[in-house]
Formats: sequence, structure tokens, C-alpha cells
Amino acid sequence: MRTLGNVSRGIFTYGVALLAVLVTLFPIVWLLNVAVRPQREVFKLPPDLSAPLILRHFQAVWANEGFRESFINSVWVTSIGVALALAIAIPAAYGLSRFRISTKAVIGVWLLLVYMLPEFLFILPIYALYQVLGLYDTHVGLALIYQVHSVPFAIWLMRSFFRDVPGELDDSARIDGCSYFGTLWRIYIPVTAPGIAATAILTAIWIWNELTIALALTFSKAHTITVGVSSFRGYAAMRWGEMAAASIVAILPMLLFALIAQKYIVKGLTLGSVKG
Amino acid sequence: MASAPQPQAHRIEPARRGATRPRFSAAYAFLLPTLLILGFFSLYPIGYSAVLSLYDWNWGARMNFVGLRNYVNLLSGSEFWQILGQTFYFAGGAVIIEMTLGLGLALIVHQLGFGANIIRTLLLTPLMVSGIVVALIWKVMLDPMLGIVNYFLGLAGLPPSPFLGSQATAMNTIIAIDAWWQTSFVFIILLAGLQSLPAEPHEAATVDGANSWQTFWFVTLPLLRPVLFTVLIFRTIDTLKVFDIVFGTTGGGPRLATEVIQTMTYRTAFSYLQMSQAMTIMVIFSVIIVLISLIYLKLESQGEASGRGKVTT
Repeated sequence: MRTLGNVSRGIFTYGVALLAVLVTLFPIVWLLNVAVRPQREVFKLPPDLSAPLILRHFQAVWANEGFRESFINSVWVTSIGVALALAIAIPAAYGLSRFRISTKAVIGVWLLLVYMLPEFLFILPIYALYQVLGLYDTHVGLALIYQVHSVPFAIWLMRSFFRDVPGELDDSARIDGCSYFGTLWRIYIPVTAPGIAATAILTAIWIWNELTIALALTFSKAHTITVGVSSFRGYAAMRWGEMAAASIVAILPMLLFALIAQKYIVKGLTLGSVKG
Repeated sequence: MASAPQPQAHRIEPARRGATRPRFSAAYAFLLPTLLILGFFSLYPIGYSAVLSLYDWNWGARMNFVGLRNYVNLLSGSEFWQILGQTFYFAGGAVIIEMTLGLGLALIVHQLGFGANIIRTLLLTPLMVSGIVVALIWKVMLDPMLGIVNYFLGLAGLPPSPFLGSQATAMNTIIAIDAWWQTSFVFIILLAGLQSLPAEPHEAATVDGANSWQTFWFVTLPLLRPVLFTVLIFRTIDTLKVFDIVFGTTGGGPRLATEVIQTMTYRTAFSYLQMSQAMTIMVIFSVIIVLISLIYLKLESQGEASGRGKVTT
């Protein structure tokens, strides 16, 4: 009886898990299907899976200069944004995790609140300011405002990685005459390299996928891939193929990223919240 | 890992380095870039929005001080309250569904042996997809006439739904879309939480004759409480700030049925060009967000003080 119960329980758990995988993946598979089928085949119900496979929609999307530029823009904004976030957050996380300072709690609450505040609270004043400063519709301007979200997030993650560095390591570095900065550079950064990778990857995914701020603060020169994809919204009426192809192009880099670096992504996503 | 003792955060004594320096100077040198950039990019917008919400600025040259008139106009009309209510309805619905499904999935995948890693990886996929693409995918799948979902409903003998096209169903449809998108987030963090729980309490419960439901309710759930709490607050704030999937699917329609605070602000600022009015909405909404966050922090510190938060920290 006991083994029979275990077997049926096993079938149940695997059944539910596979159902969840199916529901999770079907929309993405369907998007790909819409992108590679001729327009009129897609509208057929039941779907005709023997319809010819074509790349025409991808060619049309990539021939669209504005969309191509939006892809390049996102590469720029993401690179600048991640570099800035790491450069700002790593020293801060070191400062917060290795020194006893009286304002630590206040800084922690402030970081959390900045992270929590709604996008448009920042967007409207920054829009007005960027028009004056010439940062409106620039890669750097967008990457800078993204730090409002990325820096608290990166500090939070890096703090939990730094907490795992054994104290003996930096004690001996200090005895050997390393400055604080030298300790960070020669001990902490090499030891926590996987953690830094996780932080960089999660920050990159967030910036690549961000729409709200990019929509308001870019126009024709720095518009990102999400803004590019959103311009296909009107296509939803009929031109599904190109809309789906644009969507695939937009998510492919991050899906590949996830495939290659999933270990780091899981580590980064879970560490901050589980270890607290 | 998670239950290992934490190294002392104050292992280095900065004062040893030079008695003339204040103890904290080195720490603030490391914090300076953060303080400067976040200080500017948070305090400037907050101050600017608070001040400009007292004017009647519409992007143009006109800028007269009007006192609290924007606030009075907003709070005395019905539209703001309707949209605020819809925003909370969306957040409440999405959070309840995502927490329930995410916890259920985490418990299930936690029991799996063979294939658990690959299943976990596949379940993470939606988190890599941007909100606007999520919106477009579902717009195609939920098309009332040509969408595959209504076709499946028909196969199952169910009547078709207008989904995003009708006032009655549009908001619930967007809640379901958010659940498809973000349940993974709840799942992955709760799974890590489950994996970091100590084994002893569960073994003790089994020895004492507890069935699996009792073990879950009286052992697993209380131990998981701090992680559940963290996930809850992040999903709550994130769903209150929803923009992408509303903008991408319905744009707030039909007839404002799916309008939420952030799409309302976008419309007010960039379609109606009422900058001061838009800032007024954001000031009120930010106060609500900050209050919820502070209540969370207070509850969390109480949880830790009562000892229940100790397990995973």
C-alpha cells in the first residue's frame, strides 16, 4: 500500500510540474510559431502545423531601420547602465558590509524606498531637467536614471555576497598593509566574482526589458528595444507575423543569456531575499 | 549555507588606521558615489514634483501658483478613486494568485528528484521576457476571433470570452497575464527558501505522527514566513506600479476599465499635457507606496524580534 501511494503521489507531482512547464512555455512557442508562418496560415483554426516555415517576417522587421537602431541602442544603454551600477554599488556594498556606521539603517531604508517609488515620480521631473541639460533621448541619460532602480538592487545583492567573505581573509590583507580600497580590489572582488556576475546579469535583464522610463525619456535617437517593440502594438489588429518576429528578436538575447547563465540568475534572484 | 553563522560585519576596526580620522570616514568614501547619484536622482524629483504639484504647469510658459487646487480637483473627482481602486484590485488579485501558485509549485518542485533542475530552469523563462512582449504575446493568443485560447475553450466545450475586449473581463484577463509572467518570481524564491530550511523540525514532526498537511501547516509555513513576507511585499509594490502589460494590451481601456495609476499618469502628462496634475497623482501615489513599505518594514522587524525570523537569517 505504502509504495503504491508513493508511486501515485510521484505521478501527481510530476504531472503538475509538467503541466506548469507546458503552460509556461506554450505562449513563447506560439509566439515563435506566429513569427515563422505566412500571415494567413496563422489565422487558421485549428492551427495548420504543416504550413510552410518562412523567415520573411524577421527580414521585414530587421529591414526596419528604426527597429534595428532600437536593438543597438539597447545594447548601449544596457552596457553603460550595468557598468555604472557595478561601479557605484560595489564600493557602497563594501562600505555597508564591512564598517560599523551609525547611519547604516537609515541608508538601508532609503535605498529600499527609492527602489519602491513609482517610475513616473522620477520620469516627470527628469524629463523636464533632461530637456534643459541635453540628456533627453541619449544613452547616457537613460542609463543614469536607471541607477535609481539598479543601484539599490545591486547594493542589496552585493552586500549578501560580501557577507560570505571570511573575515580572516581581509584581516590578513590589512596586516599585509593593504588599504581599504586594495582589500576591496584584491580580495573582495575576485572572491565574489560569481556574485558580481549574477548582479550584472540581473541588472542587464532589468534594463534590457524596461519600458516605462525608456518610453518617456527617449524619442528617436536612444529609443530602446522595448520602445521599438511597443511601436508594433497597432499591428496586433492584423500584422501578427511582424509583431511576433519583433518580439522574438527583443527577447532572444535575454533567453540565451538565461540559458547560459541560469546558475548565476538563480543565485542572484534567491540570495538577497532568502538570506535577508 | 543559509543557516551558517554570519561573519561579523564590523571585523575591521577603521579607528585603528589613524586615530586622527573619524571612525566612519573610509566607509563614507565608499558610499559617496551612491549618496551623490541616488541623492540627486531621488531628492530632486521628489522635491520638484511636490513643488510643481502646487502650480498649473502644462509644459508651456504658464506657471501660476494654485496652492492645493490640483489635489482638491483630483480627490474630489470620481475618476482618481475609480482608477486607484482598480489598481488595488489588480494588485490584490495578481498577488493572491501568484503567491498561491508560486508556493504550490515550489512545494511540488521541492519534492522532485529526477529532472528538478531542468524543470526549474524552464519555469523561470517568463522572467526573462519583457512586459511589453508579454502583453503582445497574450494580445495575439487572446484575440476574441482568431486567438488560440478561445479555440481551446471551444474544444473544451466552453463559450468564447471577449477577454481584453470587454469591460467585464479585461481587468481579470490582465491579472491572469501578470500571473503567467510573475508567478515564476514567487516560485523561485520560495523554492530556495524551502531548500534552506533545516530538516530537523520536519523529522521531529514526522516522528510525532504529524501527517503531511499538518507538517506543512504547523512546521513548513511558519519557518517559511520571513521569505513569504519578503516576496509578498515585492509583489505588492511591483503590481501596484503596473504599467507595461496594461499599456501593451488595452492601454487602459475599454472605457478606463483597466486604467491603473501609472497609465493614468502617462496619459495625463503626455496626452493631456497636464504636467502639474500628473505630478499631483504621483505625489499621492508615492505617499501610499511609502506607507505600505514602512508598514512592511515595521511588521518584518516585529517578526524578527519575536524570533520567528531567525531561521533563515
